[in-house]
Parts: sequence; structure tokens; C-alpha cells
Amino acid sequence: MSVAPASARRPERGDVWLIETTLLVLVAIVLAVATVNDLARQVGTNHRLIADLRTWRHYTGHDYHNISIDQETLGANTQREALCGNTSAGAPGAKTQICLAIWGPVLDGMRTVHGGWYLPPYVEDVRAKRYGCFGSGVEGICPR
Amino acid sequence: MSVVAQSERGAAHVRSERWAPALATLLALLLVAAAAEIVFDGAAGLSPLVPKSPQIAAWLQGIGERLGYRVFLIALLVSSCAYAGLVALVGRSSPGCAGAERRYAGGVISKRWAIGLVAALQLIVFVGPILLSTDVFSYIAYARMGVEHGLNPYTHGPVAIVHDPIYRYVGHDWDLVATAYGPLYTLLSYPLALLGVVGALWGMKLEALLASAATLALIWRVARERGFDPVAAIVIVGANPLYVIYGLGGAHNDLIMLLAMMAAVSLVATGTPSGRREAGAAVWIVAGALIKATVAVLLPFMIVSRRRLAPILGTVAAIMLGALIGYAAFGIHGIDVVAALNRDSAFVSSDSFATEIAHLLGKPGVFPVDHDLLKAALVLIILHLLWRTWRGYDWIAASGWALLAISVTSTWLLAWYILWPLPLAVVTRDRRLLLATLVVQGLFVIHQISPLLALVQ
Repeated sequence: MSVAPASARRPERGDVWLIETTLLVLVAIVLAVATVNDLARQVGTNHRLIADLRTWRHYTGHDYHNISIDQETLGANTQREALCGNTSAGAPGAKTQICLAIWGPVLDGMRTVHGGWYLPPYVEDVRAKRYGCFGSGVEGICPR
Repeated sequence: MSVVAQSERGAAHVRSERWAPALATLLALLLVAAAAEIVFDGAAGLSPLVPKSPQIAAWLQGIGERLGYRVFLIALLVSSCAYAGLVALVGRSSPGCAGAERRYAGGVISKRWAIGLVAALQLIVFVGPILLSTDVFSYIAYARMGVEHGLNPYTHGPVAIVHDPIYRYVGHDWDLVATAYGPLYTLLSYPLALLGVVGALWGMKLEALLASAATLALIWRVARERGFDPVAAIVIVGANPLYVIYGLGGAHNDLIMLLAMMAAVSLVATGTPSGRREAGAAVWIVAGALIKATVAVLLPFMIVSRRRLAPILGTVAAIMLGALIGYAAFGIHGIDVVAALNRDSAFVSSDSFATEIAHLLGKPGVFPVDHDLLKAALVLIILHLLWRTWRGYDWIAASGWALLAISVTSTWLLAWYILWPLPLAVVTRDRRLLLATLVVQGLFVIHQISPLLALVQ
């Protein structure tokens, strides 16, 4: 068997090695905490969004799968979501859409609908296109 | 130590010798089963984990069901746990246990067994659909832009060939983005464009498979030459779930870059040291960087370690030749590596550690100042590693640490980026590198499982 070259010999275990190892352990701890924290955050978000989808289906009585979820319209990082889907069967966005403003805690797998609005087929959810706003939580969402 | 204690220890050792091969076989079967489940289910049709693709695995349809997050994540967890167990078993004799203490993984698994496992995993993924990434369609799109449409892939995004049959498979995020890969890779991919979309896809898959096989062969050679256990080395790399499922599953060109990297390492770390070999190694590293720029980070470590003119001359010659070819083929944009790196370093992915730390600190995401801080941290790490290499630290290990640091500090982290240091980690004496690489990979896998936990709730 060949002799390992000098560069492959067991590393010295001096002060530098000790400092490096300590730093590596600290970095590993930070990364692990950040990963677990982010995982918990994602699980919470997924749990909330699953409840939102269930709420939309329960409220509209349609068991549709193509429902868009917007986390910005009602304020980013507010845990308030706007969910839009067709009012009757058809391709995604091909029919008049109903959007629901949903927020609050998850209770029995669902959250509270605070209001909503309608959109014509094939349009983006922008203020100018919204109509028929209803509920108390969507003031200023519709153009009139 | 008493005779009784000695004999008890001996009995325990014999018992562990008996169950270790059986356990290794069980873990290997789990790895194969998990990979097969992902591939067969992926072949069944439309799935969020299988990008829209030409039907290249239709003959596997009917074996599995449509691949969903739940099955995929369970399979990923099973294979990760089985892999961890296997690494623990073969790792008992891997780097660090030098001299008379060393026991080859052959004590647990044989050479034939290890090669069989790695080959089985790679072939299972090879015959299946493209998994988890649309990158390979971008590779083909850039090749077709040059060959079929006479467009420069360094100045146009795939949207320029919107009527080409490959366009519908390109990820929407990359529609407008010109290629960030090196001119050597682009030229290598050009012949495949002549094969049509399906032919090019198989060509890319074959390229990835052959690159992987050659990389593993070089790892074997370097490990044996440096006094490590080659069986353990190829199992740790070739059976790695991220390597198999994400790297090979997506036919990523990172595998070709890794081949160039290991060719360079092999030239320096094996055989009689000579200026010619070191110059050749420098040429391989530059060639790797002309495929994907990241591998260029090895150059300063090799040069500082060898302290000879040969690798510098090799580097300069290879850069000049590469630049000449790149310029002739693609103009100034083909050799403007800095612009491509700057553009890509501004991307942010939700899986990056930078994003996770930003969330931990209560920030919604990564800000421009964070990019600067991360770049500064990376520069400091590389300077420290250069200083250590100058003082005699193994340049291969230092290069591995640098690659790991690049992936950890990157705001755009993808599974195949954390494969970069792995081939180096199994041929270096500093076991911290292997441990750190596997910890980072483990954290990446843990971060993927949130859909599974949400479904459980």
C-alpha cells in the first residue's frame, strides 16, 4: 500500500483546530435552529392554507381544486389570505370567480370568512376588476 | 483490562461482525426500494415533483401511482435514514482510521456489493423520468438556440425560441435568462441538439450517468492511493440520496463539473508528483470552470499548496485557450463569467440557509445588505483556508470546505449544490469536512418535509 502524502496525514490538533471546530459547532447549531424554526413556520403556513382551502370549499359548496391563494392583497405577513375560484365548473379562471377574505385562528380545520368579492372570467385579481364586495372586512378592496 | 472484560469485548465484536452485513443489506434494499418508488411513481404521470416533460419513461407507467409530496417525502426520509445507517457502518473504516487500525468496509460490505448497490441506484434513476428540476430542459433549449436557430445562448433567454418544441418544458423562471454555464458545457451540449428533444434528453441523462460513473471511478482511485477505503468512499458518494435523486434524477451538469474536479484531484493525488501532472490538474480545473464556474475555487488552493510554476502555467494556458474558444464561439458574453455569477448570486431560494436565518431573525427575507455580508463572510473563510493551506493543511480538504462554504452562504441553494464538497470529503483525512457536508445535507432534507408534517396535522 502506498504511503499517504504529507498533505493527507492526520491533521494536527492545535489551537487553530480547536477554534475552527468550536466555530463549526456554533455554525451548525445556528443552521439547525434556523432550519427547525423555518420548518415550524412552513408547517404553520401549510396548516393555515389547508384550512383556507377547506373554508373556501365549505363556504361556496364547490369541491374545486384550482383555487388561487393570495397572501399579499390583504397585507403581507398578516396571515390574511384572499382565495379565488370559479363560481361554476370550468377551466381555472374561465368562469366568474368568487374571492373570499379569510383570517383568524384555525378552528375545526377552518378559518373565518370576513368578506369577499367577485371577478369576471379571465381577469387578474386587481382592484379595478372587482365587484360585488360583501362582508365587513374588505373595505376599500372594491373600486366602489 | 481483565481477561473477562477482554473476552466480553471480543464476543460483542464478533456479534457485531455477524449482524453488520445483514444490516447493511437491509439498508441497501431500503435505498433501492425508495429510489424505485420515486421513479416508478414519477413515471406514472403529471406530478408537482416531476416537471412537464416528453414521455421518456412511458414504459414504466402502470407500475406506480402518481407521485405526490407524501410518498416522495417518505421515500426521501427513508432513503436518507438508510443512507445515514450505511455511512455509519462503512464509515467505521473510512477516513481517519489510518494504519493498523483501519478496517476496510469490505468487512461489512464487499467491493462487488458496493459497486452493485451504486450501479443499481444510478440505473434505476437513469431509466426513469426527469425529477424535481427543469434545468435539463434549459440546457437543451440553450443548445437548440445555437444549433437550430443560430442564436447566441449568452445573449438570449429560451423565450427567443418560443416556437421550438423544447420551450414548453423550460421552467418559467428561466424564460428570459441567458445561460450561466460555461462555454465548454454549451459546446459539449450542442451535438445533442441535433438529436431532437427526446434524443437530447436521453443524451443529457446518459452524459450525467457516465460523468457520475467516471467520477466514482476516480474517487475509488484517489481514495485507494491516499490510503482510504475506496469501498466506503464510493458508497458515501454514489448512494447519497441527494446525489442519486436530485443530481442524477435531474441530469444536472454539476455531475460533469464534479468529474473535471476529480480528474484534477486524481492527477495531483495519485502517481509520482510532477510538474506535468500539476499543470494537467490545473487544466482540468479550468475545464471544469468552463462547465460551471464554481469549481474554479480549487485553483488557488492547489497553487498555494504546490508552490510551483507548473500549475500556474497550466492555469494560464487553459484560461487563454478557453477564453479564445469561448470568444470565437459566443463573443464577449461567452467569457463574461463575472456578469453571470453576479446575476445568479442575486437570486434567492426558500431553501437557502440565508433565507432561513432571515426568518429566524424576524425578517421576511434576504435583503441586499445580507448578500454583501454573506459575500464578506465567504471571502474571510476562503482567506482563512488559504492561510491554512499555506501552513500545510491538505489543499483538497481546503477546497472541499470552500465549496461547502459557497453553498451554505449562497442565497440560491439547490440540493445539487450541496453535493459539490462530497467527493472531496471522502478522500481527505479531516473527517470534519465529511461530517459537516452530511449535516448540511441532512438539514436540507429536514427543511423539505414541511408538506409531510402539515398533512399529519
